[in-house]
Amino acid sequence: MVASSAQKSQTEKFTAQEVGETDYLHHHRAQLFKDGFSFSGNERDKLWFNRGDGTFCDVSDLSGSDSPNDGRAVLATDFDDDGDVDLFVHELQRERHALYRNDLNQRYGGFLKLRLKATKSQWEAIGATVVVHTPAGPVAQVTSRGAGFSSCQAPELVFGLADAEDAKVEVHWPSGASETFGPLARGGRFLLEEASGEAQPIAGKPRRLPDPLPKGLRLGIGEKVPPFLAFDAGSEARRVDLAELSGGKPVYLNFWAKYCGPCVQELPYLEQLDEAGEVRVVAVCMDAPNDLELAAEVFRGRGADFPNYYLGAEASDTVQGVALQTIVDLERLPIPTTLVLDGEGKIVQIVRGPVEKALQKDGE
Amino acid sequence: MKPLSPKPHLRPLTCGVLLLALAACSDSEQPSPESQGAANALDPSLEIPDPDDPVTNVEVVEERSEEVANRLLTFSDKLRRRDFTAAAEWLSESFHGHAFAPLEVAEERVDHLGLRHVRYDVETRTVTPGAGFLASLADAIGPWSAVESALWKVKGAEFQKGRRARWGKIKLYVHMTGISAEGDRTSLAGWGYARVEKESGAWMLTRFQLTSLDQSSRPGTVFTDVSAAAGVGHVGGRFGRGEGNDSYAWNGAASADVDGDGFWDVFLPSDGRNFLYMGRADGRFDEQARERGVLAPDAGTGAVFFDFDNDGDQDLAVGQIGWRAADGKLEGRTPLLYVNDGKGSFTENGAALGLSEPFVAYSLTVLDYDADGFLDLFLCSYGRIEAEHNNSWIQATNGSPNALLRNEDGKRFVDVAEQAGVRGTSWSYAAAAADIDRDGDVDLYVANDYGDNELFLGSPEGRFTEAAASLGVVDHGNGMGVAWGDLSNDGRVDLYVSNMSSTAGNRILGRLDADIGGETFKQLKKLAAGNSIFLANEKGGFEVLPSSAGGINASWAWSVALADFDLDGRLDAFCTNGFVTGDQPFDT
Repeated sequence: MVASSAQKSQTEKFTAQEVGETDYLHHHRAQLFKDGFSFSGNERDKLWFNRGDGTFCDVSDLSGSDSPNDGRAVLATDFDDDGDVDLFVHELQRERHALYRNDLNQRYGGFLKLRLKATKSQWEAIGATVVVHTPAGPVAQVTSRGAGFSSCQAPELVFGLADAEDAKVEVHWPSGASETFGPLARGGRFLLEEASGEAQPIAGKPRRLPDPLPKGLRLGIGEKVPPFLAFDAGSEARRVDLAELSGGKPVYLNFWAKYCGPCVQELPYLEQLDEAGEVRVVAVCMDAPNDLELAAEVFRGRGADFPNYYLGAEASDTVQGVALQTIVDLERLPIPTTLVLDGEGKIVQIVRGPVEKALQKDGE
Repeated sequence: MKPLSPKPHLRPLTCGVLLLALAACSDSEQPSPESQGAANALDPSLEIPDPDDPVTNVEVVEERSEEVANRLLTFSDKLRRRDFTAAAEWLSESFHGHAFAPLEVAEERVDHLGLRHVRYDVETRTVTPGAGFLASLADAIGPWSAVESALWKVKGAEFQKGRRARWGKIKLYVHMTGISAEGDRTSLAGWGYARVEKESGAWMLTRFQLTSLDQSSRPGTVFTDVSAAAGVGHVGGRFGRGEGNDSYAWNGAASADVDGDGFWDVFLPSDGRNFLYMGRADGRFDEQARERGVLAPDAGTGAVFFDFDNDGDQDLAVGQIGWRAADGKLEGRTPLLYVNDGKGSFTENGAALGLSEPFVAYSLTVLDYDADGFLDLFLCSYGRIEAEHNNSWIQATNGSPNALLRNEDGKRFVDVAEQAGVRGTSWSYAAAAADIDRDGDVDLYVANDYGDNELFLGSPEGRFTEAAASLGVVDHGNGMGVAWGDLSNDGRVDLYVSNMSSTAGNRILGRLDADIGGETFKQLKKLAAGNSIFLANEKGGFEVLPSSAGGINASWAWSVALADFDLDGRLDAFCTNGFVTGDQPFDT
C-alpha cells in the first residue's frame, strides 16, 4: 500500500533494483512525504472523559485540543498553577509546539495539588502511588518521570475533589512504607514528606496563561491593516487601500460568505450603516473563487452596495498590495468577523458574529 | 460602542444555502426533469446492492479502495473549504443520494460536561440529485462559521469484476466538525454506503445511502490553544523535506522547574535543535535553549528531568538516535546528560559519566530499580527501521537491545540490562514505572511495536521477572505508549496502553477474514484494534476493559496522559494521534 501511493510520486521515480530491496519501502515512504502526501494523517488527538460508570465519553471533536498535526509527546501539567491540568503537545508536522489552556477551571470540582519528598529512598519518590479519597471514590496516581511516549511529566500530582471540601491522602512510598495525610483542604498545594505525618503547605503562584490571539487573524488590536490585494466582481485584481476608501472615517472591514447564514442576513444592516455615512463598510467575500458569481448575486440580492471584494489568485504582476493571507488565515477565520478600524486604519475592535448583535451588547 | 444608526428593519432571512441550492438547480447541467422523475422511481432507501461477481484479489481491491479514498479525501477538502461548486465535480450527472438535511431527531441526550448528543432518524431522509445533495450538506454545516475538519473515509469496499464493469460499493464514515462565531463546537458523524463508478478515468459518486447520522455539540470549549500568545508557537519546516524536521517518531517532551523560580519549564528535544521554554510569572514562556546550554546537538528523541547526583536540582538526560549495524554492533549517537548548575544552566557531561556507547533510544524512563538511592535510566530501544526491517509483524525480535543504565552514586552509568533481566530485543517504544504491587520495589511495563508488551516485576535484589502473561497485560499489538493511573476509582493503579491502528489496515484485515483462520487472524486483528485499558483487580492481576466502554478509539496513537481534567475526582485520558499529515489531501 505504501508502494502504490509512492508510484504516484510527482518528483521522483525509482525501482527496487536502483535503491536496493531493503530500502525500497522506506525510499518510497520518504518520497511520499516529500511530495506532501499523508500516511494515516488527519488523525486528531483524542480526549476521553471518565463518566464514572465504567465508560468513557469521547469529547475529542469538541475539546479544542484535537490537533491534526501528528502529536507525539504530551505533558499534562498545571502550567499556570490555577488548579486544573493544561496540555503541552510536541507535534511532528512542522515541529509545532502546542500549549492548550484548560478552560473548565473549577466548574466541576475543586483541586488538591501534591508534591512528594521521600526520605527513605531517593528524594524524588519516583514510583510512589498516591491515593486521594474523593466523593467519586479513591483515586490513585503514580509519580513518574518518563511515561506515555517520550513524555516526562512535571513532579506534581493534581487531584480533582468534585464538591468535597477536603480529602484524606494515602502515600505508598518507594521504600515500601505507607502513610496517611490530612484531610487536606480543597484548593491547597502541599509538600508531603515521608515519615513526617504532616503536609506542608506550598505557596501558590497562580497566573492565567494568556488569552489566544484572535482565531484566524494575523493582526491584533492596535495594528494597521495594510493595503491588500483582492479581486472585484469582474475578477480583476485590485489594491484595496482602506485609508483611501474611507477618507479618514472609521471602517468596518467585514468578512462574509454566501454559505454563511448570519453573514448574508446582516448584509442589509451593513448597507444601512454604510449609507448612514458615519462609517465606511468594506467587505471581503470568503467564498471560493469558483463561486464568485453566485456570491455577487447573493450580495446584490440583499441590497448591498458597499465595496465588496473577492478571493482569487494570490499574486498579480500589475497590482501592488499584500496578500490577504498576511491579514487573515483564510481557512481558520470564523465568519462573520468584522474588524473595526479607526480613522488611521488601526484595528480598534474585533467583532465576532453579527455586527448588530455586538452593537446592541455594547449599547446595553 | 453605541449603535451608529437606528436598528434597521431586516427583511426575512434569505438563507445563502437556499440561494446556493436555487442557483445550482438552475444550472443547465443538472438532471433533466426526466432523470428527476427517475429519482422518484428510485427505492427511497437507496439500498446499494453488493457486486454479484466481486473482485477477490486483496491487492487489487486495496489499490482501487485507495484510489477511491484519495478521491474522497479531495472531495472532503472541497467540503472543508465549502467550495461546493468544485465538490460537484465528484458527483456523476446521474448521482442521487440521501440529503443530510432536513432530518427528524430520533433521540436526544445530555452527556458528561453537558455534551448534547442528537441521533437523527435516517428513515426521514429524502432522495435528491447532486445539487440538492450538496445544498443539504451546506445546510447541515451552515451554522458553523468555520469548518474545522471534513473527512469522508473509506472503511470498506467491494468492486465488481470485469474490465468494463468498473464500479464498487463503498462503506463510508463521514465526519465533519465546526465552530460557531461564538466559539461553540459541533461535530457531525455518520455512516453510509456509496456506489462509485469510473467515468472518463476517474471514480465518481453515483449513489449515496445515509445509514446513520449523529450530532454532538457543547457550548464553549474544554481547552484553548494559547501557544502563540504564550510564546511557544513555534512552527518549523515541513516534515520530510530536509528542513531540519525529518524524524518519524521522536518529538519528546519533559517538564520540571529547572531554575527553582516556581514555574514549570519545558524541554523539547528535536531533529535539528532543542528547545527550552522557561516559564514566566505572567504565564508566558521564554525560549532559552542556547543561553542555558541545551540547544545542540541534534537528533534528540526523548528526554527526562531527574536529579541524578542528588544535589537537589533537576538534571536532564536526552536520548539521541542511534542504530544497530548489520553485524549487530550498536552505532550512532550516545545519550546525553546535562548537569544543572542549580540555577537552570546546563553542562553536558555524558561521556565522563560513562555514556559513551550509542543506543537506539526512543524514550527514557527514570526509576531506582535497585533502591540504592540513586536514580537509574531505562532506555527503550527501537530498531533502525531505515536500515533493517522488523523480522516479524506480530513478534519481531530483531530490535536493538533495551538498556538499563545503573547510576553508580551519581558518578557513572553502566548498562546492566542483561543482569537485571530487561535486555529485550523487541522493538520497544515506551515504558512506565510504578510499584504496582506495593511491595517496595519498582515495576516496569514496556510497550513494544510488532509484538507482545512486557511487564517486569521488580525485586529487592534488582532483578526483574517478566509477568505480562500471568497478570493479563500482554496486549499483543503495535504498542506505542503506556501510562499508569486509577481509571476505576478503586485505589488500584490501572494500565493504559496506546497502540497503532490504521484505516487501511482494518480495511485489509476485514477482507482477510475468510482467508486466514484461527489464532493468526485473531492476532492480526488485535494488531489493528487500537488502544487498551487494563483494570487492576483485587487479586493483583488485570482485566481488559471491553471496547464497548469507550476510551480507546484512536488511530495511529502515540503518547497518553491520564489526568483529572474536569476535577470531578476521576482520571480522564488524552492521547496524541496520527502518523504524518501532509499538505495534500491524499493519504494511505
